[in-house]
Amino acid sequence: MGQRWVRTRRATVYLFTTLGTAVMTVLVLPLLWHPALAAPWARWHRDRAARLRGQPVRSHPILWRWSLRWLPAQVAIGLPAGVLAVLCVGNLLTAVVVIPAWWMFPAGEPPHLFSEVAVTSWGTALVVGLAQLASMAAVAYWVLPLLAALHARVTLAALAPSAAEKLTERVAVLTRTRTGVLEAHGAELRRIERDLHDGTQARLVAIAMRLAVARQALPDGAGAVADLLREAHEGTEEAMTELREVIRTMYPPILADHGLAGALRMVAGRGGIPATVDLGDLGPVPAAVEAVAYFAVTEALTNVAKHSHASGATVAVRRTGDLLSIEVRDDGIGGADERRGTGLTGINRRVQALDGTLTVASPIGGPTEILVELPCG
Amino acid sequence: MRVVIAEDNVLLSSGLELLLRSKGLEVVAVATDARSFLAAVDAHHPDVTIVDVRLPPSFRDEGIRAALQARRDHPGLPVLVLSQYVEVVYAATLLAAPNGIGYLLKDRVSRVDEFVDALNRVASGGTALDPEVVARLLTHRSDPVAALTRREREILALMAEGHDNTTIASRLVITDNAVHKHIGNIFSKLGLAPTDSGHRRVLAVLAYLNTQS
Repeated sequence: MGQRWVRTRRATVYLFTTLGTAVMTVLVLPLLWHPALAAPWARWHRDRAARLRGQPVRSHPILWRWSLRWLPAQVAIGLPAGVLAVLCVGNLLTAVVVIPAWWMFPAGEPPHLFSEVAVTSWGTALVVGLAQLASMAAVAYWVLPLLAALHARVTLAALAPSAAEKLTERVAVLTRTRTGVLEAHGAELRRIERDLHDGTQARLVAIAMRLAVARQALPDGAGAVADLLREAHEGTEEAMTELREVIRTMYPPILADHGLAGALRMVAGRGGIPATVDLGDLGPVPAAVEAVAYFAVTEALTNVAKHSHASGATVAVRRTGDLLSIEVRDDGIGGADERRGTGLTGINRRVQALDGTLTVASPIGGPTEILVELPCG
Repeated sequence: MRVVIAEDNVLLSSGLELLLRSKGLEVVAVATDARSFLAAVDAHHPDVTIVDVRLPPSFRDEGIRAALQARRDHPGLPVLVLSQYVEVVYAATLLAAPNGIGYLLKDRVSRVDEFVDALNRVASGGTALDPEVVARLLTHRSDPVAALTRREREILALMAEGHDNTTIASRLVITDNAVHKHIGNIFSKLGLAPTDSGHRRVLAVLAYLNTQS
């Protein structure tokens, strides 16, 4: 019971304040077009509404355009609700004063209850007075919390981002963090490649060399020892082969040596098909994107050499804003199918992992055009 | 045979020294960067040099450039380039002048006999090309190579690595005569005139693989 009354009191205070701020909103409306005033004004209302509703106070920024829906709602609901709260409390207080003290008023000007009933006797004072007291208390008890809650809910809804706005904000945040992740990932890739190359791989080679010398030094007929050494030697060689393959698919060493532009120029010169390379200004490209771009070009050129019967190919790489586009075109017989060719499937898988797209145009009879687009930020 | 090594990683250079000494080769100098390598070559006039691709300061392809520079300073200087990965483009750069050049994965070093064999081949003006480079070159041109039989392809790969007919015959356990016949078939299928020199055959293979017929 006590809790209900606390709620009533809070609702009443809330609505009184609301009446005041609604009036003020109307009076200073021209000033509220200025974002520097509109935002704190709205924020204060949002925090107040959240406290009334017992919700956590949110901190996301308030967009100026939300004022267009929030200010009308604040006035349209806040003014009548506030007036009703004032009337209710006013009549309640009137009854409290009139019931015990009606006789003190001058005879010619008796106090009124329910606006019209003149109080001239203890009978009317008690009957009508208590009726007014009870009805106003009932309104305060049941209606005012509902009105306050309605106003608070509308305020919170008007000052919260819509689903689309939330999505936009989320995409903006994700894009920003993704760039950071890509850069960090690129630095890590380079570091791991170097560590594996200069550390682990070099150690394996050194071990294999010593095992080889040991095997040579071992006299014939050493039996079990010779077998163990041979197994150790062959195991080391397998480990070297595997490690080299891991490094090559993770971050091709030629990228570390020459960068994307240099590596692409070199790769075009080595294939079975003469390829011309047309590179724009690529700017800084994250290592992970470099690796996929390089992989896509080498795979595409291998496909050209294997399947296209082409006499030449062109590789064009461009940077437009945050997008790196790679186009490989040949003059062959066409008919490349993304669903069949494992090369294209492999490219697509790696491209998609970086949020990029692969487009293949390869009509029967040719030519084949492969376009890979990769976001760099 | 006197050898100069350019290798900055002590583990590897000491391993190489150990290995070469066990085979009776003399390591006269171990350089840890391109500049000291060139100086060592000037000072010692080695019979053959072994150069790591990645050398200080940037650990990119200093070794390749040092090898090319050394060969400009000393024409015909035999150089065996070692790398932890093989790039066909580096092979093509080195093979521009194919006398006494080799390009091998470091992994091959631990196959001591084959490695010393390759080193000897390079020292005597021949060629040693890593099987992995050869394999990658072969996958780049599949159509005409597809016309070869399996045996012919095996022989082509061994030829591309720089082996002569006798070695190929013993590797495949067939007679010299059979190898000779197969090679004749390969060349006629690829439209090339047969020659005897090991490195010229590599060149012929590379030239064929790198240019569109």
